[in-house]
Amino acid sequence: MFWVSLFTMGRATNSSSSSIDSSSHPTVSSASSFPRLKRDLSTDLSLGLSISTSDHHYCPSTPREQQSDWPPIKTLLRKALAGEGNKCNDATFFVKVYMEGIPIGRKLDLFAHDGYHALIRTLDDMFSTTILWAEVDGVLHSEKCHVLTYEDKEGDWMMVGDVPWELFLTTVKRLKITRVDKY
Amino acid sequence: MNYFPDEVLEHVFDFLTSHRDRNAVSLVCKSWFKVEKWSRRRVFVGNCYAISPERLIARFPRVRVLTLKGKPHFADFNLVPPDWGGFVYPWIEAMAKSNIGLEELRLKRMVVSNEGLELLARSFVNFKSLVLVSCEGFTTDGLAAVAANCRFLRELDLQENEVEDRKGQWLSCFPDSCTSLVSLNFACLKGEVNLTALERLVARCPNLKSLRLNRAVPLDALQRILMHAPQLVDLGTGSYVHDPDAETVNKLISTFQKCKSIRSMSGFLEVAPLCLPAIYPICSNLTSLNLSYAPGIHGDELIKLIHHCRKLQRLWILDCIGDKGLGVVACTCKELQELRVFPSDPFGVGNAAVTEEGLVAISFGCPKLHSLLYFCQQMTNAALITVAKNCPNFTRFRLCILDATKADPVTMQPLDEGFGAIVQSCKGLRRLSLSGLLTDQVFLYIGMYAEQLEMLSIAFAGDSDKGMLYVLNGCKKLRKLEIRDCPFGNVALLTDVGKYETMRSLWMSSCEVTLGGCKVLAEKMPRINVEIINEYDQMEFGFDDRQKVDKMFLYRTLVGPRKDAPHFVWTL
Repeated sequence: MFWVSLFTMGRATNSSSSSIDSSSHPTVSSASSFPRLKRDLSTDLSLGLSISTSDHHYCPSTPREQQSDWPPIKTLLRKALAGEGNKCNDATFFVKVYMEGIPIGRKLDLFAHDGYHALIRTLDDMFSTTILWAEVDGVLHSEKCHVLTYEDKEGDWMMVGDVPWELFLTTVKRLKITRVDKY
Repeated sequence: MNYFPDEVLEHVFDFLTSHRDRNAVSLVCKSWFKVEKWSRRRVFVGNCYAISPERLIARFPRVRVLTLKGKPHFADFNLVPPDWGGFVYPWIEAMAKSNIGLEELRLKRMVVSNEGLELLARSFVNFKSLVLVSCEGFTTDGLAAVAANCRFLRELDLQENEVEDRKGQWLSCFPDSCTSLVSLNFACLKGEVNLTALERLVARCPNLKSLRLNRAVPLDALQRILMHAPQLVDLGTGSYVHDPDAETVNKLISTFQKCKSIRSMSGFLEVAPLCLPAIYPICSNLTSLNLSYAPGIHGDELIKLIHHCRKLQRLWILDCIGDKGLGVVACTCKELQELRVFPSDPFGVGNAAVTEEGLVAISFGCPKLHSLLYFCQQMTNAALITVAKNCPNFTRFRLCILDATKADPVTMQPLDEGFGAIVQSCKGLRRLSLSGLLTDQVFLYIGMYAEQLEMLSIAFAGDSDKGMLYVLNGCKKLRKLEIRDCPFGNVALLTDVGKYETMRSLWMSSCEVTLGGCKVLAEKMPRINVEIINEYDQMEFGFDDRQKVDKMFLYRTLVGPRKDAPHFVWTL
């Protein structure tokens, strides 16, 4: 039995939807006309009724289902992610940054930057100055500029920017912004 | 009719590789049946309760390679109570008694005991290959028995099994004379292994092509192992963590550069992202990458890694890649055939998750895509229609919206039209999983268009019995149907009972089917086992036919009700 098509696609953005034309329901204005099962919290949720926001996803509602059966992923994967899952966006690598002449330093998360350019931008903002580093050639100006250096694992002070970013991350311990004339 | 000697027929049959072809050949005439029977080496049993070990052995006395599957698929998701069944011991015992020359055993979702493994190791002199997928019931002691006694072992492949790790020395049980290993996968084991023994084992197996380590194998051990096995084709790293220092990274880089054959990688069970660039040189040759157990690789690192992998054909990742990351995949991985995106934070409202945008980008960028498993926050009909148009070659399409009955967020409509487009466009579709808000209409489409469909998984969908009937009537090639939390009842179940003999199995849980309906079915179909699983209300068994059945699993069988059913399983 085909239902008469009173139904339009609404805001469908392309015309290929016409390839399936005998579509579905008489228009309905509320979810209550869809026959639903005992465990249907989620239709109410998707209508934005006042359910706690932490419940935006379907969770088994009957108390006896302590072991999760939704979403359908294997138990081993579920366990592996339960321990690690929250770390997905959490890795950080904070290093100290000192500007010469200022005794109080700052801290900066290197992992939050995807390369030297981003790092320099952040430092320029943080210290309100122009910072020179290995990629910036040419004449070193006077007092208005600073040079970015770092202390590596061997205790040496090096100019930032000579090695690939990833390698830099493996050896940097802290940063210092020195005045050009001292450099 | 038969002018050829049996040996010639046998030789001809050797060229038939598919089970279906060999089955067809058996039906031609008695002499072909006989020749085929005595020359059949590989047997596939999709449901271990459909036949008994004895009958199998009688039918194929010279079997060498046996594949067995046990529990229903939904057992993967905790829907089947432990101890339901699927024991492999009777099979091993029967084959041992009949002196079957077993060489390979491949099991999926079965219960394997140490006794079984010990018997296996002692009984089959030429045993070469053990592949266990999603199995349970054994410990590393059983593995030790296999390692110690299977003199010609080539393959020990443990995929996602629940193994109790006795922290023994199972790896050390491979004798010094064992040099035949081609494939060793113990990634799912949780315990320590003897690293020296592992290194020596790898060093003396020159044919080792596939090695997947567990979490307990640290990075420096990996580096030493790789020095012994530059011929590896498939590598699963263990723990990929080290205090990042330049020397380690450099050593790793140079080691990986020697491994020119690696085409497939997995693992990264713990990751120090700073060590990741070491694998960039390998990435350009990778055809398969599985990062589904690597939540430690997130966002930018993941994208940087993908940038290097231009030849990928198979990619399994977590949804922390995000829609933008999938856009990068779409631009980079033009050869992609199979994509799986797993939820990294199954119960959270993560920003990291993917939406329909990622999938649409993939569909534009990856024309060869034919297999998909996609866990996402939301999906729209428009997106599915676009995907259907871009990728008409899907053979497997599994979509899981984390909010199980979520409508199209743009139009607030059910996703019937979207999935309808998929089944209409993808004429070769063999496997489909649905989710989101769905009415009976989507099943009408499936019944009409999904002519090659063999397996269908449904959850929280449909309005009435009509839905299920559309599928049962329409999908002629349907073999496995699994349904949970849908309003399908006795009418749907009983309208065409003959259908179930054309299928392997049907699972229905939390539906509207009653005990009475199941009883009627069981009575009409003696060659179908109708099992009711009722863990909680055992006392009410059999008292009220109007009672709804919590979980029903039915399957065709030649051997009647099984004798090993636990107390909570009632075969009607």
